[in-house]
Amino acid sequence: MIEALFNQPNYLAANKALDAVVLRQQAIANNIANLETPGYKRVDLAPSFEAALEQATASGDPQQLAALKPSLAVDTSAVPGSLDGNTVHLENELMQMNQNSVAHSFETQLVSGMLQRMQMAITGKDA
Amino acid sequence: MIQIISGIQNASAALDAEQTRLDVISQNIANANTTHGVDGKPYQRQLVVFESALQQAVNSDGSLQMPPLQIAKIEKDTSPPIQIYDPGNPDADGNGLVSMPNVNINEEMADLVSASRAYEANLAVVKNSHSMAMETLAIGKG
Repeated sequence: MIEALFNQPNYLAANKALDAVVLRQQAIANNIANLETPGYKRVDLAPSFEAALEQATASGDPQQLAALKPSLAVDTSAVPGSLDGNTVHLENELMQMNQNSVAHSFETQLVSGMLQRMQMAITGKDA
Repeated sequence: MIQIISGIQNASAALDAEQTRLDVISQNIANANTTHGVDGKPYQRQLVVFESALQQAVNSDGSLQMPPLQIAKIEKDTSPPIQIYDPGNPDADGNGLVSMPNVNINEEMADLVSASRAYEANLAVVKNSHSMAMETLAIGKG
């Protein structure tokens, strides 16, 4: 019964997006750590996730949204920047990391706001 | 184990590795004029070799399968020493030639810049991951 509170499509979608941002941070951290590793191929969020999230949001089906799971994949579009076959470009990774951190702020504020509104509705008081 | 701060393990391993690289570079520069080492030979430039990414894979559940970054070995640069003419040097041979270490300062400086840039980048990752974790912990706190 209480699950119904947290089963709204918007809340679920925001949660999944937050999951994806955290996973992406891991991928970027890994890429930067392996800046000098010969033969390393950069990893990133699997491109299929964004499409799946969009589709699930459009359908508004809580089950479909809850089943979503972001995953990582080797970025096949990245080209090697050096002769050792490493596909990590530092500037690009730092930019992606900053973008990701803005996305994270946005998602946490969104989720926070939703929870606060819910609390306000329950208690009738401003949180 | 629960990972509160995501991506920090590999960043710290990388910081470690870059630190070693900086140490080796400073050792090279410090010994750029060492003509008579412990073994009686001129100093040989040393190089840090990083482990190749052989086991890199993404698990079926989408998590990363990636051993933390490691230094494979510290190798000696076996290129021949640079010969300079300095008959007054105690290490000079019969022709007055002295074998100087095969350290090229310009090369070392370039390496130093790239190592410290990599170090800074990993530090930025740690800071960023930390502030993200703090934001996550503040969810619902208004």
